[in-house]
Amino acid sequence: MSLGYHPLVKQLLDGEVSLAQLPPELRAEGAEALRLIGAVDRSPVVLSAALDDRVMAVVRRHAASRPRRAWHWLTAPRDVELRLRLRPAVWAGALAVAAAVALLLLGRAPGSAPVPASVVRSGARDSVFVRFVLYAPGARQVAVAGTFNQWDLSAAPLARAGTSGVWTTTLALPVGQHQYAFIVDGERWVADPAAPAIDDGFGRRNSMVAVTTRGARTL
Amino acid sequence: MRPFLAVVFALCMALPLMAQHVGARLDGRVPPDVRRAVEDIAADAAAHGLPTEPLVQKAIEGGAKRVPAERLIAAVRALAARLAGAAEAVHGGGLVTPKADVVEGGADGLSAGLTAGHVSELVRASHAPYDPALVLRVAATLAALGVPPKQTVQLVEGMIKDGKSSSDLLGLPGEVQADVADGATPAQAAEHVAHGGGTPPGRPPDWVPPGQTKRKGHGKP
Repeated sequence: MSLGYHPLVKQLLDGEVSLAQLPPELRAEGAEALRLIGAVDRSPVVLSAALDDRVMAVVRRHAASRPRRAWHWLTAPRDVELRLRLRPAVWAGALAVAAAVALLLLGRAPGSAPVPASVVRSGARDSVFVRFVLYAPGARQVAVAGTFNQWDLSAAPLARAGTSGVWTTTLALPVGQHQYAFIVDGERWVADPAAPAIDDGFGRRNSMVAVTTRGARTL
Repeated sequence: MRPFLAVVFALCMALPLMAQHVGARLDGRVPPDVRRAVEDIAADAAAHGLPTEPLVQKAIEGGAKRVPAERLIAAVRALAARLAGAAEAVHGGGLVTPKADVVEGGADGLSAGLTAGHVSELVRASHAPYDPALVLRVAATLAALGVPPKQTVQLVEGMIKDGKSSSDLLGLPGEVQADVADGATPAQAAEHVAHGGGTPPGRPPDWVPPGQTKRKGHGKP
């Protein structure tokens, strides 16, 4: 519970003004407030001497062990201020040496020979960017699935190119022959009309594309 | 006796692991009964030294296409049979321990209409630096496009004899397809490509496909 004393009465309680300095209409309220405050027991609290020991025992029990503190010391982030005092000629020289070493290392890296723009290195095998295009004006979504993405229906969605009904995507495929098909609206499998198709063993047709380091061709 | 027992022991240990691996690959991608059937087919194939990856891929493809279970299993079983036939044909071509992709290429060829004899012949023709797997896949694609099997073999062998690059070989079906798109039959297209390209069969010498500039000649220099 809190009492809504007048600000001047609060000043009286704080010792900032005396009761006589209060306006006459506030003196009764001030006197009552002083009476209530005076009734509060202000005798000092005496704590048991054993309390400190008990509290410290609990604190020590919950304190981190030595290895834990060591680990925390090692792993906790800290602000580190590093100040270098170098002459411009020195740091310019150091940068030049670092650049020369980097260039030397890059020059010696295996497989750093120039490659055609459309060919990207992917592990041990070359990959080539291949563009898939399907004209499907009424489709809500189109994807391409094939041997290159484990026939995953959601791995390679095509994006609509404007409002022309053309859907397209570009994928990096490894060199070799690949079979694929388009999936329209998540359920209709459609062979690429621009590529030859072969029997898929299930009574449908898979389209084929050959990827060479010179580029991709529909077979 | 000890080496034999070691091989038997290794097979006994490896086959269940392989089946487990196949099962894990198919988990969630095909119905449980298909998964079990494909595991069995793959285990049998592995026991005969055949590659199992094409079987897994075919099952995954069928699962993605929601092919009915019976049809899917039948397709995987048929593929296993083709792999076995291809392995035999590849052995007949002189490759004692072929890589998995060579057997797979041979199976593609058989599927497209090549005979085991054609597969053996193509393997024999695939001397270094030609990869027999690539040669077989190209031949399989040509045959799938409708080029008669015998002509397919002759066309591919001709490219190898002429020392064409692997990339040229890989582009061969595209050349045939381009001529087919221009109105030639697959046999005519293959004949045309074999003789160095130029004007498609049945067209005047200066003929250019609509909307295209004149293509550079391809094939023999």
